[in-house]
Amino acid sequence: MFRRSSYASVVSGAAAPGGPQRSGTFSPIVNNNSTSGQPPQHPSINHSRNTSRNSDADGHHNGMSASWGRGGHLPSYSSQFGCIGNGLGGLGPEGSASSFFVPSYLRGSRHAERLEEAHKAKIAAQREYRSNHSSNAGSLSTSSSSVNLHKMVPSHRGMTHDIIERAPVIPAEEAVAPWPTKWSDSDKYPQLDIQPDGLEVRFSGSGKTHDESASIRTDYPMPRQCGIYYFEVTVVSKGKEGRMIGIGVGGPKVVLNRIPGWEPDSWAYHGDDGNIFSSTTSGKAYGPKFSTLDVIGCGVNFRTGCIFFTKNGHYIDVAFSNIKQERLYPMVGMKKPGEILRANFGQTQFVFDIDNMVEKEKAIIQDEINKHFMKDTSSFRPPLDETSFIHELIAQYLAHDGYVETARAFAGEVREELRSLANGNEAGLKYLDPEEDQDAVNRQRIRASILDGDVDRALKLTTAFYPSVLRDNENIYFKLRCRKFIEMIRKYTELQHSSSSKRANTANGHHNTSDDYDVFDHQMELDDQFGPHTGQWAAEGMDTEGESGGGDYHAKYENLLEDTIRYGQELKSEFSGDPRREVKKALEDTFALIAYPDARESSLAPLLEISGRVPVAEELNSAILVSLGKSSSAALERLCQQTEALVDELSEDGGAGAFINVRRDFLQ
Amino acid sequence: MSSSTVSVSAATPTRHLFERRVDEIKPSKTDINFVIMDYLINEGYPSAAKKFAMEANIQPPIEEETIQPRVEIRNAIHAGNIETAIHKINDLNPQILDLDPSLHFALLRLQLIELIRDCMSIPNADITPALTFATSQLAPRAPTNPEFLEDLERTMALLIFPPENLAPQLAALLDPSLRQNVANRVNEAILGSQGARREARIRNLVRLRAWAEKKARETGKDIPPKLSLGLDSDKEGQDNDDDDEAMNGNGDADAMVS
Repeated sequence: MFRRSSYASVVSGAAAPGGPQRSGTFSPIVNNNSTSGQPPQHPSINHSRNTSRNSDADGHHNGMSASWGRGGHLPSYSSQFGCIGNGLGGLGPEGSASSFFVPSYLRGSRHAERLEEAHKAKIAAQREYRSNHSSNAGSLSTSSSSVNLHKMVPSHRGMTHDIIERAPVIPAEEAVAPWPTKWSDSDKYPQLDIQPDGLEVRFSGSGKTHDESASIRTDYPMPRQCGIYYFEVTVVSKGKEGRMIGIGVGGPKVVLNRIPGWEPDSWAYHGDDGNIFSSTTSGKAYGPKFSTLDVIGCGVNFRTGCIFFTKNGHYIDVAFSNIKQERLYPMVGMKKPGEILRANFGQTQFVFDIDNMVEKEKAIIQDEINKHFMKDTSSFRPPLDETSFIHELIAQYLAHDGYVETARAFAGEVREELRSLANGNEAGLKYLDPEEDQDAVNRQRIRASILDGDVDRALKLTTAFYPSVLRDNENIYFKLRCRKFIEMIRKYTELQHSSSSKRANTANGHHNTSDDYDVFDHQMELDDQFGPHTGQWAAEGMDTEGESGGGDYHAKYENLLEDTIRYGQELKSEFSGDPRREVKKALEDTFALIAYPDARESSLAPLLEISGRVPVAEELNSAILVSLGKSSSAALERLCQQTEALVDELSEDGGAGAFINVRRDFLQ
Repeated sequence: MSSSTVSVSAATPTRHLFERRVDEIKPSKTDINFVIMDYLINEGYPSAAKKFAMEANIQPPIEEETIQPRVEIRNAIHAGNIETAIHKINDLNPQILDLDPSLHFALLRLQLIELIRDCMSIPNADITPALTFATSQLAPRAPTNPEFLEDLERTMALLIFPPENLAPQLAALLDPSLRQNVANRVNEAILGSQGARREARIRNLVRLRAWAEKKARETGKDIPPKLSLGLDSDKEGQDNDDDDEAMNGNGDADAMVS
């Protein structure tokens, strides 16, 4: 809803037009864990759980290292406090193995989305940590001049991070399992050396002849939630004499002085003979041998429990099946000095077209879903066929959420359709007969007011019809008040800039919101509005003064500004004592807006978008429904919720659900 | 939101864990509104789509006029005016039927069924028009596909048996759902020819919901014995909203007690 931002404490400062300006972009965030000499972290599941929990807990903190004021009213906290590197999946310098990446075949998957959210939350938490700690450290005097800060930005590794969208809160107990990002620096046979990028591993030639082999695991196991996990290994050099190389997967306990495949809990494809080894030293003929410059791919399909290999972009075959192990790591093993292997965990493009394979897997599941339901409607709601059921869902949603006119039109059209079907069973569909429901009409009026940007009218209507709702739902009341402030700033910025361009009016898009000035029109004629079935609230409040020319422009602008600031101060005095973190945060975000000469150009611009009205309107609508003793969510919403929860269940162990992204594949 | 916080903190341990997970998922209204609009446009409810665009303050993805031909074709098929429908489809894009012989055959067979239906309604009616149509339009196409032949044969059987005592297989041919089915196929074909998604999102969604539940039960996931939507209170179909909501509330209460 709100973007993370810094706190503009200087509301009054904006009274002077063109007041404080943001002096530059935020200081870039550098998360370099591998170059700063920090000890590498030992990867473990527990660790990742903890870190993501922290990031969740900190996720509400405010605080950015922004600098305010051209003249340096406030000190800025520059990037010198950076380097709180650490990684959920590694957040390192760009280009290295530890920066965040999504393997191509997992793009758009639910698991990738979750990891990305966790990653962003992490960055945000680090940012807060840094800014909080930098101020505590009394480092104000050491910070660089805020005047020049923005000039530093481009030179700083070219990383100009913008404000990160506020990441959705991740349930603390459900840390997202990261995927492998590099070879582990600790979970390896000692004689193996890893290049700084974490991808290339070589058998260090110590001169001694080794009887033992050397293996290595990755930093994290392969998450089953991916559905299919795939990685590739390039044989950079097979060394002088040897070519005993094994590529495959293994559990966390597999000893590292043996080639994977030979030991229990490990499965691998060996280069010297082209055989595969399933937790035993006796191999089975499988594919071609492989050697220097060959690219071997290894994939695990968690849904089917199969492991397959590819060579130089060609699929070989299923190598193992019935793989059910919980934690499996990509593994490689080698035997002779001079052997060098380089892995790709998805940082760069794969040689084999794994994307296509994943797409096919998805298509199989989609087919199953689509075929399946045709005959199985009955498990759902016996008397209805699919179309009638969908009509029922839609009609109930429209009625429930107060889309009165739509519900009526829809019912009419469906009825007409049924009538033309000779023996139509019109009687069966109860929601298709929308009764006159005054509550629905009221709720729609309230919603329409908010969607039109007229928070005052929404407040008045709500107080008049549902007096208990605002009393009982203080947070919604608060959000409405904040929204009003945002609407005022919208007006103020639009007015301020409308002389130079007309886009303020057109930028809102299709629907003429007709609210340009009515936010400040407090003369609400309740009598007029409360007449039943006016049905034209969208046009109400249209104020002709909106068309007035440039003459009183300046006066109006001044008034508007004054009003806005006065209202802001009211809001502040009303809620500043509120201890709740989300309230504080929202206040800060909202107030920061006024500090910009043109907030639409600022990083906080999303706060101003009209789409921000929707959640407020819907939350209020839900609260009213609850106050009326009705369910807060319609059957269709319930259906979405259940579907997503079911798919989650089905993806946890890498089942078919892993290949489904409900929102992306079904709701957009 | 306060309500959800309350329900979490006052977590009733007897409430099924899955139900709580369901409650924690907050579908976006924007998404749901999209799904609704998608259906109204896709399956041809232009006036509802127009109203919805206004009330929900969203932009209709396409012009109303482009829905209208599909609506007319659908209505024609529903009303049994297959000839009209075929004309309209060809007006819109003659390639649709040319490229899909199976759909074309389905329409022609439906037209035959309508001709037979006319005969059946009047005792001792003249069946010549139906026979002529079958021999001239359907018979030449039947050999191209074994399914066509079977369909044609079964349809012709309608002329032999008395209408009041038809085998279920034959009775199904006279059911309005066949018209609906053909109309849907035509709609999908038109949408496909226009480069649009052939099926409305909500259909996939509903199937996904059913599939996911079945799959979850098959694999022994820990989910409640019944997942209520709050829609299927009972089968009387005559009670009003409030009753339904009350039922829903009771259902929840039961779940918590059990």
